[in-house]
Amino acid sequence: MSYITGITHNEAITHDVLIIGAGLAGSWAAMAASKQGVGNIGVLSKLHPLRSHSGAAQGGIAAALNNVRPVAGTGPSGPLEAVSPGDEPPDSWELHMFDTIKGSDWLGDQDAIEIMVKEAPEIIYEYERMGCVFSRLSDGRIAQRRFGGHSVPRANYAADFTGHVLLHTIHEQALKQGVTFYSEWYCLDLILEDNICRGIVALDIVTGTLHLMRAKAVLFATGGYGRAWKITSNATANTGDGVAVAYNAGVPLMDMEFVQFHPTGLYGKGILMSEACRGEGGYLLNSAGERFMERYAADKMELAPRDLVSRSEQREINEGRGVGPDKEGVFLDLRHLGAERIMERLPQVHELARDFLGVDIITDPVAIQPTAHYSMGGIPADANCQVIADAAGTPVTGFYAAGECACISVHGANRLGTNSLLDASLFGRRAGLAIAEFVQNGAPLPPVSGDPVARSQARLSRYTAGVSGKPAESVSKIANALKETMTKNVGVFRDGERLEIAARDVKVLQERYTRAQIMDKGSRFNTDLLAAVETENLLTFSEVIVASALARTESRGAHYRTDYARRDDAQWLKHTLAHKNDDDGPRLDYKGVTIFYDRYPPEERKY
Amino acid sequence: MTIQNSQAKKAVIRVQRFNPDVDRKPYLAEYEIAITADTTLLDALENIKSDLDGSLTFRRSCRHAICGSCAMSVNGVNTLVCNRRVEAFLDRKGRVTIRPLPYLPIIKDLVVDRTSFWEQYLRVKPWLIPPPSYDDSQPIDGEFHVSPEEVAALQSAETCIMCGACYSACQVVAMNKKYIGPHALLKAFLRVMDPRDSAPAERLAIVGGDDGVFRCHTIFNCIDACPKGLNPTQAIETMRKLAQKRLAFEAARVERQKSL
Repeated sequence: MSYITGITHNEAITHDVLIIGAGLAGSWAAMAASKQGVGNIGVLSKLHPLRSHSGAAQGGIAAALNNVRPVAGTGPSGPLEAVSPGDEPPDSWELHMFDTIKGSDWLGDQDAIEIMVKEAPEIIYEYERMGCVFSRLSDGRIAQRRFGGHSVPRANYAADFTGHVLLHTIHEQALKQGVTFYSEWYCLDLILEDNICRGIVALDIVTGTLHLMRAKAVLFATGGYGRAWKITSNATANTGDGVAVAYNAGVPLMDMEFVQFHPTGLYGKGILMSEACRGEGGYLLNSAGERFMERYAADKMELAPRDLVSRSEQREINEGRGVGPDKEGVFLDLRHLGAERIMERLPQVHELARDFLGVDIITDPVAIQPTAHYSMGGIPADANCQVIADAAGTPVTGFYAAGECACISVHGANRLGTNSLLDASLFGRRAGLAIAEFVQNGAPLPPVSGDPVARSQARLSRYTAGVSGKPAESVSKIANALKETMTKNVGVFRDGERLEIAARDVKVLQERYTRAQIMDKGSRFNTDLLAAVETENLLTFSEVIVASALARTESRGAHYRTDYARRDDAQWLKHTLAHKNDDDGPRLDYKGVTIFYDRYPPEERKY
Repeated sequence: MTIQNSQAKKAVIRVQRFNPDVDRKPYLAEYEIAITADTTLLDALENIKSDLDGSLTFRRSCRHAICGSCAMSVNGVNTLVCNRRVEAFLDRKGRVTIRPLPYLPIIKDLVVDRTSFWEQYLRVKPWLIPPPSYDDSQPIDGEFHVSPEEVAALQSAETCIMCGACYSACQVVAMNKKYIGPHALLKAFLRVMDPRDSAPAERLAIVGGDDGVFRCHTIFNCIDACPKGLNPTQAIETMRKLAQKRLAFEAARVERQKSL
């Protein structure tokens, strides 16, 4: 029997624009394209749009608004004050740009970064005018706080549920525009021929029906993929479907070795304790009660960037100064902030520590540990979110990418906190504008040859058909084994030996996966089937991460190799491009980094 | 750190199952699993699905009470399952019962059809309607000024995650699917109270109609059910008062917006 009923081969759903993913990037793109007059937009989400992981972002969204500044002479965690009209502006896009480039360990493309930091204030003001409820200063302007790696306070926030407020705001506005949302639809395949994007194959999860969906332009805004690790801040949905589907269709993946570990995931759970905890003045302590960041970043302390703080924690843990039953954590201490500030600025964090570890952060420190958080790599795209097919920058006609699944390379080797909400919103909007122009300049609806729906159906049917003479494998056991090896061997610290082990493990798991079977044989809302496809996607992009990391024999940003502990600009100041190569793992190619040598030449990264 | 140290023990998770394609009516299935003190209800469902029965179907995503996917009925009370620990719900025999949200059609097992929920949400025009002076086509420079006190008033509504726990706990919803419902009324309240919104009178007319705030029986189920500790009843009460003087309220809004 087949899983999927009611296949509609001859009834393709047609849109001018198809957007996959309804988080900040996807919803911004839909809204922006719609406001430009594109009427026929379809947005797919495998969840309801309001369940998108953008909503889990906590701490803030960066932009140099110049609303606050540190009180002179009070140090890195001293009080902030409002900037009065006429005062010297403490911040600028140039400063935001330098912080972002330095944070990226000079791997970020500086032309794209310049666009991002210059347009940032406008995005915040637009959110504000669409009804976003930001936290405010006493004079009614948007409040700002400190964040790691930013030299001045420029994180605009709504308590510690900033992403939630932004996501709801943009979803409402996209509804207002009359965008069509396909809620709980899942993209299985991207149809590319002759380097022209023609549409997708999608599964209507509720009914189990497969559909051919054609469009003049397709945008992938499918988010991150932290689910390849055991300890992760990511939602269960973050399985890298978009990057895997694009890669399978022949699009390369860029800089996949750069995966950010956030320093403060709840111990044993990985659930995020916002970086705002440190932005508001929280300390990190080891088992001896030492504020160990003194040893690693004497100036910035806890407000050093995430890669550096995560490594510092992991060093303390590796050297036996960890806390918790297996000594795999350190303490985050917020007690000195006081109950009132904690409840006003960090209410969600307070709730999380209480509900998951039974700790009241007003009276006790809470155990945390580095957690897989953000993927700097992804589908390569230019600053208009146009996907490219190779190192020469050949465009894939009609295919766009934005948000965490894309690699426009504004984050380079390490992303600064609060720059991801900015990236997703701003490049989502740019994608919408670019796509509107593409469609309105007369882009045709490209024809689809062959039977892509039948190919997807064959792929899904495999999970119930069985492989004769061989024992069935469990999807969840394979996924768990992958998470084990990625956590152990492709984590905060890496080396050649461990990466080789990971590469072998992934290969073995891919082989086991060919015999994977699922238990749910029905077509209605089959989440067993979804998990099987998601696990296949995890295996696909994990192989790329490991191969890219193994090849890069240097340490830069979030990619830290103990066997090559130095950054090597002579050899490695370049982007990795991994192309699918059916015989033997990915074929790696490299692409130059855009650097304005006169303004921001590479220098040693110190905090 | 006492939680992780505790011993594993057995718990019986009773789950309502129903696949309309094969079952005539819903039934309870029992699964015995090992839990520790920090096993959440969602962990328990995930364990059953990966180890015992892959066809068990439920929604979930963020795991920490911000996405709104996993609202269900646990021992007869609506709640999120991701941030609640199994142990807190076990009876003396070590059992907990998980059912889908009540009063909504079941798609499969714990997954309900929320179509009516989202239709009511759309009915209140959940988006902000900015002041007429704000021209959409022009680049934006500068922000509206909203006081911290005004923000505090809005915060009692803005943290709603649209999980549906209140909606499906509401006796009025159970009796009358035309009722706008506590979730959408809370969203309407957010917009009515926002000094940047220019259509409070229109909104109050919508919620002041036959299916709106005056239909609420003030039973407080929505408050008990809300996993974010919000108070839709109070928002409904406030809008009842405002609905009576909605034109005066809108005139005051026009005045307020002069200093935005």
